[in-house]
Amino acid sequence: MSAAGEGQRRIERYIKEVRQRLRGLREDQLHEITAELRSHILERASGGSELTIDGVSAALERLGTPEELAREYAQDEVLARVEISRTPLRLLDSLFGWATMSMAGFAVLIVTISGYFLGVVFVLVAAMKPFHPATAGLWALRDSTGDLELSVRMGAGSAPSNGHELLGWWIVPLGLVTGCGLVILATRFALWCVRMYRRSRGRPRGGEPIA
Amino acid sequence: MTQFDAADRANKWEVQLRKGCLELAILAALWEGRRYGLEILRQIESDSELIISEGTIYPLLTRLKEFGMVESQWVESDSGHPRKYYALTATGRQKALEMAAIWERFSTSMGRMLDPLRREVKP
Repeated sequence: MSAAGEGQRRIERYIKEVRQRLRGLREDQLHEITAELRSHILERASGGSELTIDGVSAALERLGTPEELAREYAQDEVLARVEISRTPLRLLDSLFGWATMSMAGFAVLIVTISGYFLGVVFVLVAAMKPFHPATAGLWALRDSTGDLELSVRMGAGSAPSNGHELLGWWIVPLGLVTGCGLVILATRFALWCVRMYRRSRGRPRGGEPIA
Repeated sequence: MTQFDAADRANKWEVQLRKGCLELAILAALWEGRRYGLEILRQIESDSELIISEGTIYPLLTRLKEFGMVESQWVESDSGHPRKYYALTATGRQKALEMAAIWERFSTSMGRMLDPLRREVKP
């Protein structure tokens, strides 16, 4: 194999290794990143003349290992995407990307999903109350061992015989406020975690490059 | 804190300082007009000591683009492969000016703070 052919092979192997470590990114982003890396390496390695193995090795060394480079791209990209997400669905989509790359991201995703789930449940029960006034609401139920437990019921089925409803029609305003509050809190929590995480890694805040 | 911890911490601080400044350096490198990645790198390398690894600049450029501070365009070149050129957007120019003003204030005040240390510092 010629020197240029061997150099080309090393470049493609390097790019493939970077790409394999960037699973959390979108396909169009991966395409842009790999095309730009290829362009950079070819330019750096050839310097306007024939591609040499030494030139390629030096260019790759200056870029850093595929692991280091992928880490810079992945977390920067994904965390930046989380920070500029303005709707819960986009935020969750971005958090999924972060969760595939780190345990911290996974933990934040779980807490955020839990917050959203509870928030949606409260909003739904408030919305269902006018349709099932006797059964929808927050119930205190006594289980078989005699312990009290709280249950949020949407109103399907008959009213439970082993408990009583706590809030009555107050569930409508309280459910809406609590539900929306939980969604806002979960969103703020996720964004706060990303900012703290970026700060701990020595990055300025993505949304405020001036700070 | 052991001597090793202190040295490690100083090293990390320097890395973070360089990374923090790199964003402004990229915007400054693009102030005169559009450039592709390697041109930006060469400019920063010739004018400063900010580059640690060349790999740090591309993720930063991607992020600046995501925040609407730069825009990019692929252009065919004589070298046989296309180059991705970056240019400042109106937002990017505005932010660059604001960041430069903050930097000026910051470096002036830090310069005053460091006056007593100057005689001891080896360049």
